[in-house]
Amino acid sequence: MPTMSLLRVQGLNKAYGAIRATESVSFEVRPGEIYGLLGPNGAGKTTTISMISGLLKPDAGEVFVDGVAFWSDPRRAKRIMGVVPQELAIYEELSGRENLEFWGRMAGLSRQEARARTTELLEALSLADRAADAVKTYSGGMKRRINLGCALLHRPQLLLLDEPTVGIDPQARLNILEFIRKLRGSGTAILYTTHYLEEAETLCQRIGIIDKGRLLAEGTLSELQERLGGDRVFVLEADFTATKPDSWDDFHQRFRIIQKADHQLVVAAVGKRDPAECLKELLGLPVRVENVMLKRPSLNDVFLQLTGRDLRE
Amino acid sequence: MLGVLLAKDLRRARRNPLPWLINIIVPLAMTALIGLVFGRSNDETLGRIRFAVVDEDRSALADLLRGSANQQSGAKYLEPMFLEREEALRLINANEISAVLIIPTNFMRNYLMGSEAVGLELIKNPAESVHPAVLEELLGALVTALNAISRNFAGEFPEVRRIVDEGTSPHELALLAERVGNKLSAAKAFVNPPLISYEKNRSNQTQEDSQTKTGKGGTPAKSKNSNAASLFAFLLIGLCAMFLLFLANNAMTDLHREIRIRTFERYQTLHDQLWPFILSKVVFAVVVLSLGAAIMLGGGGLIFGIGWRQPVPLMVLTFGYTCFVAAFFAVTVALVPDERRAGVLNNIAGMALGLAGGCAFPARQLPVFLRDHVTPWLPSFWYVQAARDVQFGNGDAKWGLATFELGITAAILIGLAAVLFRNKFRSGVRP
Repeated sequence: MPTMSLLRVQGLNKAYGAIRATESVSFEVRPGEIYGLLGPNGAGKTTTISMISGLLKPDAGEVFVDGVAFWSDPRRAKRIMGVVPQELAIYEELSGRENLEFWGRMAGLSRQEARARTTELLEALSLADRAADAVKTYSGGMKRRINLGCALLHRPQLLLLDEPTVGIDPQARLNILEFIRKLRGSGTAILYTTHYLEEAETLCQRIGIIDKGRLLAEGTLSELQERLGGDRVFVLEADFTATKPDSWDDFHQRFRIIQKADHQLVVAAVGKRDPAECLKELLGLPVRVENVMLKRPSLNDVFLQLTGRDLRE
Repeated sequence: MLGVLLAKDLRRARRNPLPWLINIIVPLAMTALIGLVFGRSNDETLGRIRFAVVDEDRSALADLLRGSANQQSGAKYLEPMFLEREEALRLINANEISAVLIIPTNFMRNYLMGSEAVGLELIKNPAESVHPAVLEELLGALVTALNAISRNFAGEFPEVRRIVDEGTSPHELALLAERVGNKLSAAKAFVNPPLISYEKNRSNQTQEDSQTKTGKGGTPAKSKNSNAASLFAFLLIGLCAMFLLFLANNAMTDLHREIRIRTFERYQTLHDQLWPFILSKVVFAVVVLSLGAAIMLGGGGLIFGIGWRQPVPLMVLTFGYTCFVAAFFAVTVALVPDERRAGVLNNIAGMALGLAGGCAFPARQLPVFLRDHVTPWLPSFWYVQAARDVQFGNGDAKWGLATFELGITAAILIGLAAVLFRNKFRSGVRP
């Protein structure tokens, strides 16, 4: 029997005038799972998180937190979840400890509880030695960690993380990702939005790909790779300006084009086929192939196949 | 929760005191500046005006003018020095006197003959602003009076001139006085009641009288409610009301900041009700505004020698007003969360509320439509009206009602701000 989801999002719609920010977005997050919402800037990730956290009211659709519709009891839902906004929503004049204690009190902890939990979190976030310093003196990575910590004081069962590693150096990012893994280990359900492919690939158990407000695909990494016809794609380098793949006989029956450029063609085999046989067919194409590479399909390839454009564009 | 929110703001203010210090320093500076310009001298009025009179005519009329400056009210406010022209000019150049009044040769003769234009010369000290202006006004009044006499008693002037030149018998002098008296009696119906009258405030006068009577050592006690102080009390209340609007606008920019740094949004992820957050901002602003008001009213009172008749009702009333102005600007923040755009709107709104509320000018002098249909609905008017009534004698019952109305309005505005914010955020407006 599948575990009951802690967060279930059903057909969320939101429009700002003529612009549709999200369109029928549906997914669910289970306890102890990190669900990645992957998409480029402006895809609708923040809007989705804002609707889940109650900052925005959806035009249509419903959010269920621990089985209860959010808007039927927002207070209960807010007690269960912790939200880490993309921007640093902290007081720079206050120290790290003061920030954490304040948000702990806001989350309903007593003074003693907030103090004890703050000490615990400062240790966990490796900020204990700078706890008394004003946040404005912190590095970008440290500020991000405090921003994350402020949502954890009340031990939320569901954590919404909106691009928590934006704008920080790789080392600081690794620290935060490691901390999030530990949180997952403690059973917290995490919704993690990002536009970094590597983060989604390495951190998330399931991934939803969102673009232009629509959830295009979701599943585990291997399930998404499966959509491309297996765990391999072929990268052909040749001059495709003179001859077009569309004009080749049976090509579309045998291969699915993932990306097409003047000098590069990325394709996946249709169906389960022997890679050696595929390679032979590709070398037999009516074009002078300069190089062929075989690689595991990345999330970017999935995104490319779904949207026709690179996630990094 | 309110305590936690306030403690947080207090810590922030301690770490970054400049914006809040400005709110305290500005009223201090304003009060000090006004005090320097209009402040009292030792006798708690505008001070005695030192000026020189150069009498080059040495006639009876010139003696009369000289004498009038030394008599009764004139002696109270004026300090004339009778000097030669050179000495008078030396003193004004040395910035020791406010002005020089020159009575030219043949002033009386020409005035009584009416044959040619008569002039008095006033040289003002350019380094001073108020005292020379007061002297100029007084001289204007004197000239108007002399003109009026000249027009109405031109028929008697030849005889007066003869009496002055040659001397006369008491009988002729009595006949002349009788004729002048008859003319005045005939004009009485047109002169009395006068078109413009001046009446001293009765309660102040009574208080003043009693203080004067109880003064020790035969010298009059200090008049705490002198006319000048009354005028300044009237002005200071309006000025304070205007200034609190400006300070509240400043103080509530912290709410803009909370929106900008997304902490207000973060608060919403934890709480469904927004009013506690807004209330905490209003309370913090009210504390700062109360300090500002205390500086303005207390400091201003000291500088101008104003004795606040009922300090406690005035304080309570002012507290109610600070609640209103802070809540008012919480609403304007909710209406226009963008700080730059809100700055313009808030300045206009504050200015309009102050001017239309009778803070800068007496409400009865406002345009009729405004005065009759707008001003009575403005809380700024409730405040200045009630505060002036408290100070000038007939507001014993009104201040309580006005405070209650201001408090209720503030509560409604806080609720309104919370609703506006909630709607704005839920519809996705992110400044």
